[in-house]
Amino acid sequence: MENPRLEMRGIVKTFGPVTALDAVDLVVGRNEVHGLLGGNGAGKTTLMNVLYGLYRPNAGEVLLDGQPVSIGSPKDAIAAGVGMVHQTFLQVDNYTVTENIVLGTDVPGPLRLDLTEARERIRELSERFGLTVDPDAVVEELPVGVRQRVEILKALYRGAKVLILDEPTTNLTPQEVDDLFGSMRAMVDDGMSVVLITHKIRETLSVCDRMTVMRDGRRVETLERSDTDAEHLAEKMVGSTTDPGAVVEAAALGAVDAEAVEETLSSVGTTIAVAVRDLVVVNDQGHELIRGFDLELREGEIVGIAGVAGNGQVELAEALAGVRPLRAGSVEVSGRAMGGLATSSWLEHGVAYVPEDRHRDGILPTASITENLVLGSQRSPKVRRFGLIDWGAAKQRAVDAIAEFSVRANGPGTLVGDLSGGNIQRVILARAFARRPRLLILHNPTRGLDIGSTRFVYQQVRTATAAGCAVLLISEDLDEVIALSDRVIALYQGSRAGEWPHGSVDAYEVGRSMTGLGEARV
Amino acid sequence: MTAPPATPPAAPEAAGPRRVADALWLVVPSVLSVVAAFAVGGLIILALGQDPVAAFESVLTTSFNTRFGTVETLHKWVPVLLCAYAFAIPLATGKFNIGAEGQLLVGATGGVAIGILWSDLPMLVLLPCVLVAGALAGAVWSGIAAVLMVKFNVNEILSTVVLNFISFQLIDYVASHVWPDRGAGHPATVRVGEGALLPGIGQAPPLHSGVIITLVLVVAIAIFMRRTSTGFEMRAVGANLRAAQVHGIRTSRLAGAGLVVGGAVAGLAGAIEVAGVHGKMLEGMQSNFLILGIIVGLMSRGSMIAIPFIAFGIAVLEVGAGSMQRTAQVPVEMVLIIEALILLFLLLSDIARAKLRRN
Repeated sequence: MENPRLEMRGIVKTFGPVTALDAVDLVVGRNEVHGLLGGNGAGKTTLMNVLYGLYRPNAGEVLLDGQPVSIGSPKDAIAAGVGMVHQTFLQVDNYTVTENIVLGTDVPGPLRLDLTEARERIRELSERFGLTVDPDAVVEELPVGVRQRVEILKALYRGAKVLILDEPTTNLTPQEVDDLFGSMRAMVDDGMSVVLITHKIRETLSVCDRMTVMRDGRRVETLERSDTDAEHLAEKMVGSTTDPGAVVEAAALGAVDAEAVEETLSSVGTTIAVAVRDLVVVNDQGHELIRGFDLELREGEIVGIAGVAGNGQVELAEALAGVRPLRAGSVEVSGRAMGGLATSSWLEHGVAYVPEDRHRDGILPTASITENLVLGSQRSPKVRRFGLIDWGAAKQRAVDAIAEFSVRANGPGTLVGDLSGGNIQRVILARAFARRPRLLILHNPTRGLDIGSTRFVYQQVRTATAAGCAVLLISEDLDEVIALSDRVIALYQGSRAGEWPHGSVDAYEVGRSMTGLGEARV
Repeated sequence: MTAPPATPPAAPEAAGPRRVADALWLVVPSVLSVVAAFAVGGLIILALGQDPVAAFESVLTTSFNTRFGTVETLHKWVPVLLCAYAFAIPLATGKFNIGAEGQLLVGATGGVAIGILWSDLPMLVLLPCVLVAGALAGAVWSGIAAVLMVKFNVNEILSTVVLNFISFQLIDYVASHVWPDRGAGHPATVRVGEGALLPGIGQAPPLHSGVIITLVLVVAIAIFMRRTSTGFEMRAVGANLRAAQVHGIRTSRLAGAGLVVGGAVAGLAGAIEVAGVHGKMLEGMQSNFLILGIIVGLMSRGSMIAIPFIAFGIAVLEVGAGSMQRTAQVPVEMVLIIEALILLFLLLSDIARAKLRRN
């Protein structure tokens, strides 16, 4: 390519013994949306963090407009015209949009904080690129999608020529995604370059001019949009896609259109496994976050809960897992009323919970894999002999589980805190499945996992449903929910905002319902 | 287990060197901390104008040169160790018991009360009663803090410390009004009955058999923490409170139980001091066992196996301190300085290790 905007050559980055980036090259042209595609752990974010000055590379060089630049900190990056929008925003909640954007830049003088000019520029930028924002709004009152626009405007205000967006669509509704992509086009038409970090093939195909696929810290291939299609990209990203159920998995990964997939992973029975009626759950502050929720799950059925984070998902998951008390209503599992019972009784009755925050709620980091697998069943006769825990047998079971769930570890004595996220999730799943659950609650089960582990989770879900286990899948990943679920329920402010059976889900309709704009249909 | 694993256990040959490396990361900093503490202590002794070599020689050898030193060391070891458990067992559930001395004193009160009231009973009946009474009294004392914590969310650090002060008044009252020994010239109770005394082992000076009881307790506590469901639950709560809750463990009840067990162990220490060392209860018998127990508990970093060994090392230093003062004219407080330095260097080594391992 002649005269590219950005060139990264032979970037190497190691963390201790782990090579996160192995001599990666990246060329981004002018007026180009460049997709950086790969699963978690592929090295996409690491590469961009190097560009943004958050990591120092062990080797390699960076050229902007043909000139070598040395970027040692985000400040250098901004000065060189590189801006980055992370998945989590660094914003002062009680400042206005304008104040947040101006914060950290040169203001007119130490004693005079006149933001009139700044406000005008922000208004101008937001109109030019279709990033609709009220400059005087206080950011804590804004929804996620708008706060993301604030973050983009921050980079534009600082004169970014190259804008990096790290998985920007994670928490957006389909409508907001369309708006964002429109803005991205407007930016490149205006002379900028945009790098879009994503693991969703569909997104790269719909908005990118060129794309670079990464896997295991290496660049696999760089392609023109016109030279490729979803299948080719999926193969580059995932490897082979010939296994049974691969279509569903690919859809859940965002490789193909989830709505069009007819296959399911479930095997729905006729017996009602779980019945939830008029459920009311409060959070730690006593606010009702689940209000009057009804749900019936049959054996082997997968029901997906779609929603924007903070609409009661955590409370629903914890209530159905027996971790959080029910304020009102009832939960029946296999015909037995569970309300008021201790968490351990729920566990004994076959309720298994894979929590969203694996590190906080799922594991004992300083304990071994063996001990973590015993957690929760330490009083069951299966692990005890003569009243004491039989660690020899537990260790043997851990060895088996490590093999069966392909946990990458040195052995059953490995501390779980030393494992990667994907391997931690495998340990948690191994523990959940060892109890032969009747109800499996999965909350964002694949978040932050690499593709291999994500697919592994899906395979395990299928195994569970085949054994008659009912699965409640609560996920912020709309593709995942739509692809895997027999029924999709939209959750908005603690109530159901719509329900669609598999095969007739319209992602836009779900998106509207998730944000409270749908027509109520129950 | 019915089906044999499809594949052999993952890379056992890789586990070997890894485990050795892990063990080295644990042992080397501890050894270095001790060496560094003695080096700094030596400099201070030099600054005092004394001979550090002679001082350390008498500190480190007194326990092993004479039978008297050995017996003295083991007698010191018992309360230091039990107070370390009293600190470490609640700590396993994430709770800080700073009340071991109060629990020890109340345990001693319980033991001495039985030993005096039932002084005519034969040893086979009386001695177990004295020890059990001590443990129960200690458990009740820490149980107050446990109830306040579980029911009313009162911070256990505050309540256990405050209960120490109450216990001082309590034994003062018992020693000067209930069973006072008017001739002692120091607040102390009369002696317990013959049957309440722990039999000695070997020729003079005899080793009291509380050491044997303590050894049994060491094994029992190791098994309790490692093999029982409750012990496992305690460790789980200490490792990650939220995860323990999510997996059905009733965490606050368990934390309360940890405090009660810790108090029982400290109470037993008090009863053993009465039945094995003093034959009565006297003011000041708690010595500095609280702080030594905390030091040992912190040094062990959660390893119940390490505690008896560390406690022994501390007992050696404590017994050596006296002879160091006699032979090298270095004040006994020097030993406390060294103990504190060991702890400081250990805490520093945690930070250094975390930094080194990251690279």
